Amino acid sequence: MNRFKKLSSIVLTTVLAMSVLSGCGQTGNTANTSDRKVKLKLGIWPEATMTSEITLHEGYKAKLEDKDKDVEVVPSYYKYTTETFVPMAEAGNLPTIFETWYTEPQKLIKGGYVADITDILKKRGWDEAINPSIKKLLSDGNGRIYGIPRDGYALGVMANVKLFKDAGLVDADGRPIVPKTWDELAKTAQTIKQKTGSAGLCLLAKDAAGGWHFSNIAWAFGATLTTQEADGKYKSHVDSKEAIEAMNYVKDLKWKYDVLTADPTNEDWGTGFSNLGTGAAAMYIAANDAVEQPTENNGLPVEDLAIFAMPAGPNGAQYSLSGGTPYMFSKDATEAEINAALDYLELMGKAPVATEDSIAGMEADAKRKVETGIPVIKRFPAWVNKEVLDAEAKVLKDNKNVDDKLYASYFDAIDKQGNLRVEEPGSAQDLYSELTKVIQAVITDKNADVTALMKQANVNYQKILDEKVNK
Amino acid sequence: MRKVETNDLQICATPEITVKKKKVLKRKDLIGWAIMLPTLILFSFFIWEPLLENIKLSLYQANGIRLVKFVGLDNYFTVFAHPDFWAALKNTFSYIGWSLVIGFFAPILAAILISETIHFKGLFRVGIYFPNIMPGLATVIMWGFLFKPGGTGTLNILLGKIGVDPQLWLTNPGWTIPLIVMSMTWKSAGATALIYLAGISSINPELYEAATIDGASVLQRIRYITLPKLFSLGKTMFILQIIAVFQILYEPMVMTNGGPNNASISIMQLVYNFAFKDYNFPVAAALSVIVCIILAVLSVLYFKLTSNKEG
Repeated sequence: MNRFKKLSSIVLTTVLAMSVLSGCGQTGNTANTSDRKVKLKLGIWPEATMTSEITLHEGYKAKLEDKDKDVEVVPSYYKYTTETFVPMAEAGNLPTIFETWYTEPQKLIKGGYVADITDILKKRGWDEAINPSIKKLLSDGNGRIYGIPRDGYALGVMANVKLFKDAGLVDADGRPIVPKTWDELAKTAQTIKQKTGSAGLCLLAKDAAGGWHFSNIAWAFGATLTTQEADGKYKSHVDSKEAIEAMNYVKDLKWKYDVLTADPTNEDWGTGFSNLGTGAAAMYIAANDAVEQPTENNGLPVEDLAIFAMPAGPNGAQYSLSGGTPYMFSKDATEAEINAALDYLELMGKAPVATEDSIAGMEADAKRKVETGIPVIKRFPAWVNKEVLDAEAKVLKDNKNVDDKLYASYFDAIDKQGNLRVEEPGSAQDLYSELTKVIQAVITDKNADVTALMKQANVNYQKILDEKVNK
Repeated sequence: MRKVETNDLQICATPEITVKKKKVLKRKDLIGWAIMLPTLILFSFFIWEPLLENIKLSLYQANGIRLVKFVGLDNYFTVFAHPDFWAALKNTFSYIGWSLVIGFFAPILAAILISETIHFKGLFRVGIYFPNIMPGLATVIMWGFLFKPGGTGTLNILLGKIGVDPQLWLTNPGWTIPLIVMSMTWKSAGATALIYLAGISSINPELYEAATIDGASVLQRIRYITLPKLFSLGKTMFILQIIAVFQILYEPMVMTNGGPNNASISIMQLVYNFAFKDYNFPVAAALSVIVCIILAVLSVLYFKLTSNKEG
């Protein structure tokens, strides 16, 4: 009896272990087996808490399944994170379509995780409709395209109108008097801090986003941070006179004007919006595609948000860093699945077509924004075909919920020839990391030697360029 | 125990009996191995195989984790050439140094104090272990609030009440590592103290009785009985602490993100950056192997140096 007990416990334990192991070996991609339908695993499905958006998407889902009887839309909400992406991709568990960050496309293309959709886009004529500068960010060196833009963005400065009013910085019509140069911005920020107690500007210094914003400031001071030489190799210019001047300006924001939040080294993209939305900071470098952040997510009334153009530097140079938030597609997705995903985007009004359905999608999205207190403003032109732009303009006009003049200088600036600049070439994320380190040093140490720090950052970044891209 | 039996058998038993006994032992062994089998399978699957795969990955160029080309030690050279590597290595040793200064003696002291306590011993034992129950991230976020610079940080508010100016705390590069180590010690010293308490309770009480009769004071009892008896345990805890602190990751990542200006970046954060920011898994693997080698060397060195003092 005793022996039987022993034996049975051994057998059971072994079976348990084997079942655990066999469970790990499952390959996961079980789509397309239950029936012959094309299963569109939709990673862009809204997360469970966003009920109003889910209702909207249920409408799109029903419409697509009704239109194309072969397609079954499977909501597979996936929020891109760097920790989960590679395991999911390697296990073949990525949804057909997913949204990623503007920093990621080149990395994903290089790693072979995303599908080449050039031919599919060509068949639809969409390849020519993508804004060329955004298309470049989503293509490899051979011009093959791997993603399409959800939205484009161009950096500007978001402002909390109430704080401007409290500081008395408003014109006769009660609109904020926004700074046009970086020097004016520092002084405006100082007035706000003195009169309201809130920080004038939220500067980011926790992660690479700090360097990302700084690169735009440096351009205004006349700097170009990386160049590609005649031999094709990239060269760092982080220690140029202009870049050092820009970094000195950042240092002054802390030590001369004292207009920053208490701890910029703890501020990242998300906390910037919290500071702006809750009135802890009056200004924040941000783009038009993130207007729901201060408003819907952080409670700023829709009429209290303004965006103005990136300020100009001492010599009048003025640029807006632009890019795009992309949709990308699993490397394992079939052509039919990718086409179904593109059809779905059409219904959402996120595609370069102005059909009845896509316009209805734009309308529904705009109405949701009005209901939830998000500014309905122009999108950055991620698509360049006229019929879409016209349709968008009409939807905006019909659903207007903000004072256009609060956004006028921003849109005027990005419409100007030569204003938009894409990220620095080379290895932009590493450049940003190096710059962020310098920003951290200059805002935590009053006696920091900016020139020496920038020279060190230049050496570091050049090393990374030589190791990663110049080889 | 089993070893003693085997030796006895070899010396005393006749050959016939030995054969019989050996058979019995073999069957016993078989059952032992069978019981261990699931663990061995799980260990090989989840620990040993990934470890070997990691070493292999570190010698290859790869797309994600799909091997492309054997590149020898190239990934190791990439690690050494990276501008953050030496800062991270230096910081990691600094974490270890500070953790030994702040965190090594604290649990010993706590254990001795609790063992000498007469009333509410249980309360103190639970109390000291309490921070360990808190999830790690919650702990570092809480300390982040405490250390927030400017007028809104908790510690600064408290200091303000007694007229002290707001401090920079974590944003002062010279303080960053000691403060992070302090928050780590707050969280984990209790668990270590319990281990020392167990060690203290296993010391023969007769020794204390004899010492008390001989007129030894509390300090003398600690000096001549408790500490020497804890030496062996302390030695193990010392090296375990070095190994654990060498792999520090989430504390600096959440509290300072390695800053300001790399003042708190750790080796494991660099591994994380290579793996999850760059998706450069071979280089991350190479750095992990380097960490493994450093820890193995440190452990061997330490045990060699202290082996003759085994008490």
